[in-house]
Amino acid sequence: FHPLPWRQRVAGGYMAAKISKLEEQFQKDAPREKQKDGTSSCIFSGVAIYVNGYTDPSADELRRLMMLHGGQFHLYYTRSKTTHIIATNLPNRKIQDLKGEKVVRPEWITDSIKAGRQLSYVQYQLYTKQKGLNYSSVCARGKQDPSSIHEPSKPSLNHLQSDSIKPQPSHTQTLSTEVLKSTHANHKANFTERSNHQGSQDTLLTNGYVHPVNAALKPQDSFAELQSLISTASPAKQPGLHSMQKDLHPKPTSNPGTSAAPQKGNLHDQTRVRLNGSYHMTPNSSTLADSSNPPGRSAAGAEAGIISEFFSRSRLHHISTWRNEFSEYVNALQSRSRAAGGAVFSGQEKLKKLRANCSSGSLMAAPQVRQSCILHVDMDCFFVSVGVRHRPDLKGKPVAVTSNRGPGRVAQRPGANPQLEFQYYQRKQQQRPLFFLNGVDLDLAALSMAEIASCSYEARQAGVRNGMFFGRAKQLCPDLQSVPYDFQAYKEVALSMYETLASYTHNIEALSCDEALVDATNLLVELGVTSDDLARAIREDIKEKTGCTASVGMGSNILLARMATRKAKPNGQYFLRSEEVDDFIRGQPVSSLPGVGRSMSSKLTSLGVSTCGDLQQLSISRLQREFGPRTGQTLFRFCRGLDDRPVRSEKERKSVSAEMNYNIRFTQVEEAESFLTNLSMEVQKRMEGAGLRGRRITLKVMVRKPGAPVEPAKYGGHGICDNFARSVLLAQPTDSGQLIAAEAIKLFYAMKLDVKDMRGVGLQVQQLEGSYADPSGQGPSRGRSIKDLLLAKQPAHSPRKDPPAQGRSSVIRTEFFKSSLRLSDPMPGTSKGGLHHPHTPNHVRTYLNVSIEVPSPSQVDQSVLEALPVEIRKQVEQSWRHREEQPSTSSHLSTPPRTSSSPPPGPSLGTLVLQLQNQPGQPCTTGIILELPDVSQVDPEVFAALPRELQDELCSAYRNKGNAQAQVGKKNPFPQLKQPAVGKLKRRYKKRNASPAKKGPSPLKKLFPGNSPAKSSPSKTLPLPLKHPGLKVSLTDVPETLSKFNPRPVPTLAGAYEFSDIRTLLHEWVTSISEPMEEDILQVVKYCTELVEDKDLEKLYLVIKYMKRLMQQSSESVWSMAFDFILDNVQVVVQQTYGSTLKIT
Amino acid sequence: MATLTRQDLNFGQVVADILCEFLEVAIHLILYVREIYPSGIFQKRKKYNVPVQMSCHPELNQYIQDTLHCVKPLIQKNEAEKVVMVIMDKEHHPVERFVFEISQPPLLSISSETLLSHVEQLLRAMILKISVCDAVLDNNPPGCTFTLLVHTREAATRNMEKVQVIKDFPWIVADEQEVHMEEAKLIPLKTMTSDILKMQLYVEERTQKN
Repeated sequence: FHPLPWRQRVAGGYMAAKISKLEEQFQKDAPREKQKDGTSSCIFSGVAIYVNGYTDPSADELRRLMMLHGGQFHLYYTRSKTTHIIATNLPNRKIQDLKGEKVVRPEWITDSIKAGRQLSYVQYQLYTKQKGLNYSSVCARGKQDPSSIHEPSKPSLNHLQSDSIKPQPSHTQTLSTEVLKSTHANHKANFTERSNHQGSQDTLLTNGYVHPVNAALKPQDSFAELQSLISTASPAKQPGLHSMQKDLHPKPTSNPGTSAAPQKGNLHDQTRVRLNGSYHMTPNSSTLADSSNPPGRSAAGAEAGIISEFFSRSRLHHISTWRNEFSEYVNALQSRSRAAGGAVFSGQEKLKKLRANCSSGSLMAAPQVRQSCILHVDMDCFFVSVGVRHRPDLKGKPVAVTSNRGPGRVAQRPGANPQLEFQYYQRKQQQRPLFFLNGVDLDLAALSMAEIASCSYEARQAGVRNGMFFGRAKQLCPDLQSVPYDFQAYKEVALSMYETLASYTHNIEALSCDEALVDATNLLVELGVTSDDLARAIREDIKEKTGCTASVGMGSNILLARMATRKAKPNGQYFLRSEEVDDFIRGQPVSSLPGVGRSMSSKLTSLGVSTCGDLQQLSISRLQREFGPRTGQTLFRFCRGLDDRPVRSEKERKSVSAEMNYNIRFTQVEEAESFLTNLSMEVQKRMEGAGLRGRRITLKVMVRKPGAPVEPAKYGGHGICDNFARSVLLAQPTDSGQLIAAEAIKLFYAMKLDVKDMRGVGLQVQQLEGSYADPSGQGPSRGRSIKDLLLAKQPAHSPRKDPPAQGRSSVIRTEFFKSSLRLSDPMPGTSKGGLHHPHTPNHVRTYLNVSIEVPSPSQVDQSVLEALPVEIRKQVEQSWRHREEQPSTSSHLSTPPRTSSSPPPGPSLGTLVLQLQNQPGQPCTTGIILELPDVSQVDPEVFAALPRELQDELCSAYRNKGNAQAQVGKKNPFPQLKQPAVGKLKRRYKKRNASPAKKGPSPLKKLFPGNSPAKSSPSKTLPLPLKHPGLKVSLTDVPETLSKFNPRPVPTLAGAYEFSDIRTLLHEWVTSISEPMEEDILQVVKYCTELVEDKDLEKLYLVIKYMKRLMQQSSESVWSMAFDFILDNVQVVVQQTYGSTLKIT
Repeated sequence: MATLTRQDLNFGQVVADILCEFLEVAIHLILYVREIYPSGIFQKRKKYNVPVQMSCHPELNQYIQDTLHCVKPLIQKNEAEKVVMVIMDKEHHPVERFVFEISQPPLLSISSETLLSHVEQLLRAMILKISVCDAVLDNNPPGCTFTLLVHTREAATRNMEKVQVIKDFPWIVADEQEVHMEEAKLIPLKTMTSDILKMQLYVEERTQKN
């Protein structure tokens, strides 16, 4: 986000077009507004206002008033055209800029309307003679007007905070009264419409070019208004519709075009719109930092509003959320019908009547066999047909829905290099089939980059495709007509489509705004009609109610129904009978199967598969080998037309995310930080909305690809980018925006990016659970004791307080403590935590060290401590007390303050706790040197990723002692395993993991037995009988290479080394995803193989046993298969190395 | 803080001493745990700060001592790869093999402070593991005997002849029958990793013991 400089005159090109469009829109809306509200006049004719920042009444209200009373409203300030600037406060710099302009308080307008004439603006001037803001008057007004909720504050971000601290109820309350007051009488009926309108205007208005600081406040106002309006106006409305409307409101009815397309990347299907990120913000460190910035110019502050703005403006984002809305709608219908003791299905009634009318034989012969029948209802070219339904002149012509309305040409902006981007896309597309740019000579510079959301069948015949840039499409099809977005209409039509469907049955799965699945199995039996009749009735109904056509595909399962729809289109219906399924599906291209995208179809093509028939030739094992067990199985079934997915009215959510890749232009790190904070708040809102909490937080960043133009061809777009992602696992699920923000910021720093190159940021929270009462709240006193202890001892050591981040390391710590106890346990094998005990004391040492090093109470996860068995907790406390008595020993523990969730690099700082028990006070500083790896073995990337302090510490350690060894590899215990998106990181681990394998032939390849040490046969035999018990020597010929034990990297799994880390990682892997990726399985096998090579059978055994327990418990049979696969492979390796296989019980 | 190398301290000897001491304890303990000898001949002792069982049968003790005495030079030169304690049934077919797989990492540097206590802890863990290994093993048939094998690296045996102690207590090459076990199952017991020694103990167990 980069606000245009205040004075910058945006001449021509995009901005000019945008401004003129907005004006046009204003003119168009004015009469409608007047119509709605009888009290219109012309008192403001000749007046053109521009609202700068927060005002009361709000900018959109002012806009409305200007409409009603003959004035002009400028969304962008133009010195020549704008006559008055409306503002309640302005930063000094702007005041300087606006010398000589009429800057007027909004009261001027309201009072003028009250007076019925245009009053002199002089007494309403915001400031006089450029002396500065007229604070006194503003303040006075603030006191007089009880409805003003905003403290007339200094023009700074404090504004935001003081505001957000206020309890929300009173906030909305006052707002609602305010709005009610200002919107006179008589429009109760209009309320929802009105507020919708307001919302859209408001978001337009607060669009980042206007005034960054105050922009932050806007969306929340409008949202509060919306809420209050809706809640006051229509409490009696049906709840389903109600909530849907609420969410659909803030969508702008028409918006400057170019913002539409780049938000495509934003279509996460799991999102739910909740406006505004800044509203719930409580003062935390980052915003405090912001507020200390010079008032008004804080670019970081600008970010505060842009996220919510972005999501409230992004139209495609809205459409993408509709599926959820409609799902909710369906749910609401169902629950309502349950409550009412059975619903009335008007459509059903109609069908029944129909059947009764022509009750002759034919219909009675309808299939009484209860065979499942799924209907897939899909509107034909939804956006287009909605767009042209009131424009018969366009019917039958090539039509495209796009935001571009001109000839498809725009002036080029400086800094942009569209050619380069086109080339890039072109290159990219060459590897993929089916793209439209290939081999076409393009006049690149001037083509509109507005994407086509949808195009009619006529246009499709000309080669136009959805998603194409409009300029390009226009070249292909010069007759192409463009139709603007009409979101209101989309909503209406979609709603009536769903209403129509709901009039038949409530067994509906909403797929998108124009697509739904209906399970008609019961319905057909009940009505005794054929599916064709039902489909026909539905289609007629839809056509009648919406004026748009729909196609219906029918089949015995979802897959077949969807495939049948392809055949049914356009405007038709098709029932794929079970007897035709085989023939039909064989001819279908594989890409028509759900889940088969570009990459998979290209992979399939390389296997020589292009149709489902080809695919049927492949065995399930082959498919599973190529695509992983789950996907393989799915493919195997799909290509045979088998699909057992049920029609679900509600889908389980797997992640909650918020992502923004439009207009991201940071200049400073602080901006990025505050952006992340706000994005986190957005996520929090969504999670709250969904009633979920999550444990895994993933930060996704789009970074300008090196060499790509700084300014992308599309205005505010992200251009050519590299995608990076990192994730962290929290100890417990959270929905707190602050915690998420803290983690996200940490991840962000860990990525070491140049903020200037960031083009997109996304936050995703996975591993969701339903919210429940915080378990940590139940026993604070127990945890407190330790906390207090720590606090008392080490107040100085308090690095960044990020409790959740510490959570993970404390989990490790506690596991360690268990294991240390186990050491003195005479019967470890039989005790309950059997898996823990085989920790060698070496590991113990490491973790003890960690526990000592993290003395700050903020770093001890309370709930983890509480979760410990009593005796362990006691021991923890004991250790701490012990340590307190030995301050001298602790003094030489140089404490890297930001160890956070990674164990320190020199893991042997102390066998301190153990030594305290045995030989208290023994110095142990040298331990660190023992564990440092050879310098050459330190992965520079890993080293670079370490916090500064650790780097310094490592450097000094290396200076002191030349050679050493340590497991730098375990530095990053974050489980990366299951994240397909973390490509880069994973590759790095792979690289490292691969290194030991290069040193010798992989055990998998050692197929000849002679090479394995255990099997090597004695070369000489010198029988020499001995008395029992006999003593014998077995000679073995062991290759030289094996005997020389070279220091080798410790086997790691995705960077994890310690067993507890591995365990966490595996647990993570198995519990968080339903289908293991083949790649991951191979990684695990490889790790196990390395363990064998490393002669660490014990760990291998533990890992295997743990996996067995995990995977075989898993409900997914895929996991069992995965385990069997892993075990088989490991057994082969063990067999070859040791001549026998592991005993797995 | 003295940093010593393997050569400086004749490290092989230190390692060999430690290891042989451990092996002796371990062998006694295995004999007890696996009930090769009646429990009456064992006495409770304390080693590595944990209770262990030690035979008080002089001949048996002597045998074990002699054996380890011969193993020691091999360990010292880092020539012993595995020390295996084979438990055999009446037909002299192995039913269990306790394999101590030894490797000595090239020593980079070592500090005297952490050495002994640390290694001792590791060894203690291993002893504890042995004392409970019956939980993961099937019972042995009655009348079992035991034997000790050493897997040496390369041509270590050739040099063995020259060492006096070994001359006094001659070794023979093991029968294939004693080395090899059909349908063995492998049960890892414990792995220890220290600066001077990396050792893992696993048991190979015959699937059908009776």
